[in-house]
Amino acid sequence: MRARTVAALLMVALLVLTGCTRSAKSGSTSLRVGWSSEPDTMNPLTTYSTEAQEVLQLVYDKLTEYDSSLKPEPGLATSFEYSSDGLSITYDLRDGVKWHDGQPFTSADVKFTFDLIHDQNLSEYGQWLTDMTSVDTPDASTVVVNFSKPQAFNPGLSIPILPEHIWSGKSAEDIQKFANDQPVGTGPYTFVQWKQGESLTIKRNDSWWGPEPAATQVIFVLYGNEDVMAQALKAGEVDVLTEVPPTIWDGLSGVDNVAAVSIPSFSFHHIGFNMSTDPKSQGNPLILDRTVRQALAYALDRNQLVQLALAGHGQPGSVLLPPAFGKWQLKIPADQQMNANPDQANQMLDAAGYTDTNGDGVREAPDGSPLEFRLIAIESTTVDVRAAELFRNAAAKVGIKLDLQTMDENTLGKTVYNTTDWDIFVWGWDSGVADPDYMLGIVLCSQIGGNNDIYYCNKHYDQLYDQQATTVDEAARMNIVHLMQQDFYDSAGYIVMWYQDKLQAYRTDTWTGWVQTPGGMVFNFTRDNYLNVTPVAA
Amino acid sequence: MFRAGYLARKAGQLALTLFAVVTFNFVLFRVLPGDPLQLIARSGHLPPEAVARLRALFGLDRPLLVQFWYYLRNLSHAQFGFSFTYRRPVSSILAERMTNTIILLGAATVFIVLLGVGLGVFAAARRGSRADSGTVVTALVFWSLPTFWTGMILVFLLGVWLHAFPISGITTPGAVYSSWFDQTGDVVSHIFLPTVTLALVDIGQFILITRSSLVDVLTEDFILTAKAKGLSRRNVVWRHGVRNALLPVITASALYISLVVGGAIQVETVFSWPGIGRLIYDAVLRRDYPILEACFLIFAVTVILANLASDLLYQVLDPRVREA
Repeated sequence: MRARTVAALLMVALLVLTGCTRSAKSGSTSLRVGWSSEPDTMNPLTTYSTEAQEVLQLVYDKLTEYDSSLKPEPGLATSFEYSSDGLSITYDLRDGVKWHDGQPFTSADVKFTFDLIHDQNLSEYGQWLTDMTSVDTPDASTVVVNFSKPQAFNPGLSIPILPEHIWSGKSAEDIQKFANDQPVGTGPYTFVQWKQGESLTIKRNDSWWGPEPAATQVIFVLYGNEDVMAQALKAGEVDVLTEVPPTIWDGLSGVDNVAAVSIPSFSFHHIGFNMSTDPKSQGNPLILDRTVRQALAYALDRNQLVQLALAGHGQPGSVLLPPAFGKWQLKIPADQQMNANPDQANQMLDAAGYTDTNGDGVREAPDGSPLEFRLIAIESTTVDVRAAELFRNAAAKVGIKLDLQTMDENTLGKTVYNTTDWDIFVWGWDSGVADPDYMLGIVLCSQIGGNNDIYYCNKHYDQLYDQQATTVDEAARMNIVHLMQQDFYDSAGYIVMWYQDKLQAYRTDTWTGWVQTPGGMVFNFTRDNYLNVTPVAA
Repeated sequence: MFRAGYLARKAGQLALTLFAVVTFNFVLFRVLPGDPLQLIARSGHLPPEAVARLRALFGLDRPLLVQFWYYLRNLSHAQFGFSFTYRRPVSSILAERMTNTIILLGAATVFIVLLGVGLGVFAAARRGSRADSGTVVTALVFWSLPTFWTGMILVFLLGVWLHAFPISGITTPGAVYSSWFDQTGDVVSHIFLPTVTLALVDIGQFILITRSSLVDVLTEDFILTAKAKGLSRRNVVWRHGVRNALLPVITASALYISLVVGGAIQVETVFSWPGIGRLIYDAVLRRDYPILEACFLIFAVTVILANLASDLLYQVLDPRVREA
């Protein structure tokens, strides 16, 4: 009897307590974002995570921002102008802007930031300032950035402006260790708190220069796994999810008050061939023959890949640039693509003298060595493993044998970048910027030892790259960018398998006004969705 | 109660084990394939100078033996180095995560051990009855429940469907509390589901161990003597029986406590509990050696200390061990 009373009292206490939490729940003016991976650091110059960038783009302003259709819009600079020779960009800054700590923002902060990144060769932002020669500040609201070559990409779109009064006097080593626990920017939100492993909160900056956003705070909530994250969206614990895996996305479509959306992305998954011509390369030299690579490209059915490996959540791949780049992407007509045509593959291989002389089902080169290659893929990326299996089957049908081995991402990275002891891999790329420059730059000769994962080196391609990077006129630049895509497509150094869609989901009963920007509503190069959504009227 | 020689021998063993653990710990993570900076460097057009600076920051540019020396030197100052991922001192990251894990698993452990032992005694005292077989079967069923699955079922039933409990985290994100009472309430409601999950899947072993051990003891002659003396049933079972049946339970508890520090990776993952288990899991994926080394070291030290504690407790509880 006594035990039962205690149990009953406990239950009552518990119910009271949970009742209290309901009332303690934050009001509808908080925008709650769910993700399954957290930022690494709040230091914008040393972060490598998309999550950190997502938070920091709300805390720091750039000179120029992307709007929700990824067109440039004014940021800290109300306007910018190229000089007639394209060698310098003049930014007119806003007056009266204050840092979150109350200090005034001036052109000196911009100069400091650009100089710091350029002189110390810090961070990925450095790539936009390699040709920078100097920064002039004629007055407190004007900045002139000078370059040795014309710049097709406006670096103001990428680089967050840092407060000189906080960052000055730090050496490169200091900055490397600087956690920046309380980031101070000029942006629409000020940093509140990061409970590591749990959540990160920022609150509205009421003295921000732009139109006031409706969300008084934005809370990023970390989930231990994506299943629970999806359940949390259903339960109304969060308002929007940054990224949802395909199987879970399928489960979310059709749920009450939840919209699951599928948006073209800035990413692709690809098959890469070891094209190292180093005499010490341990790769199978037969893969250096373009005919063999093209035959493999013809053998593979990209539509089937998208359907079977990706459950339809993407578009069949062709060129280097994914569809989110819009008109920058070269559209190759379907009948001119190397795709789903095993007959063509067989003909090409026959004509090049690769025939199955010993009747084992695998073609041999004229010197007798078989068309047999090692294929590696990341075991935890199930779509890649599935794609690798389909690729292996497709290759077998045209007499090419692939031996598939899976490994973890780190090991694959080390194999591909630190050795030449491999033939073919399956992996992927995301563009770090909304400009074609980054993805086109992956396979440059100069990126061997850097990003170039196939040791591809084509001087002509490199020349075109330099040319597009210095062509300020958009139409002229686009021509070159298209040429480069065709050039690399013909080389068949990559088989771009697919452009996967960005799968996201949000609650329709809390916030409204989400724009499906190419690349994603959130986790994109624009922050405008955070600023423009409004609460659903009760 | 303990002889000085015995204690000194134990302390010596302890020190030796610790050094072996520290060394093994260091070597283990460096023979793993994969380079912690590999993926960082691939993520963008990082200038070579920046990559070199990163290597230097973590001492990865130095020979292995020198790295080991730095590691030992740091340890002697209770410094666990710099996290590759978060680029801040490991000790500051660990402290918070450890607290969260201890809150969760501490609550669960006390609950599980007390209730498990209680139910084990209940069953053993009624050996052969329906209540006994019912308890055993239930314990077996719960013991075979997969943790992850049980957690997800609870999330779905009590969290999403009934809306009775929050399903993730340790507090409601962004909540502003009007009082200390509110805040505690929030934590309690968050801790409820993970604790219940842990209790469900882990209580079985304590029931079964207690029961089988007590069943053996209850057949001994001195129990018959006690009964013959006319002692009450309660007295026979608890004072004469349970006290002698506790030894295996203590071993099991010691092992369980070491698990407390290691974190319950699965439960922490399902309920997004920011504890040590999740930290270890993420650190493995990111090749964050300093975090892993620190976690494993603390883990090892706890196992060693828990074993020492159970050895010493044996001495208190069992005179036979004392003599030997």
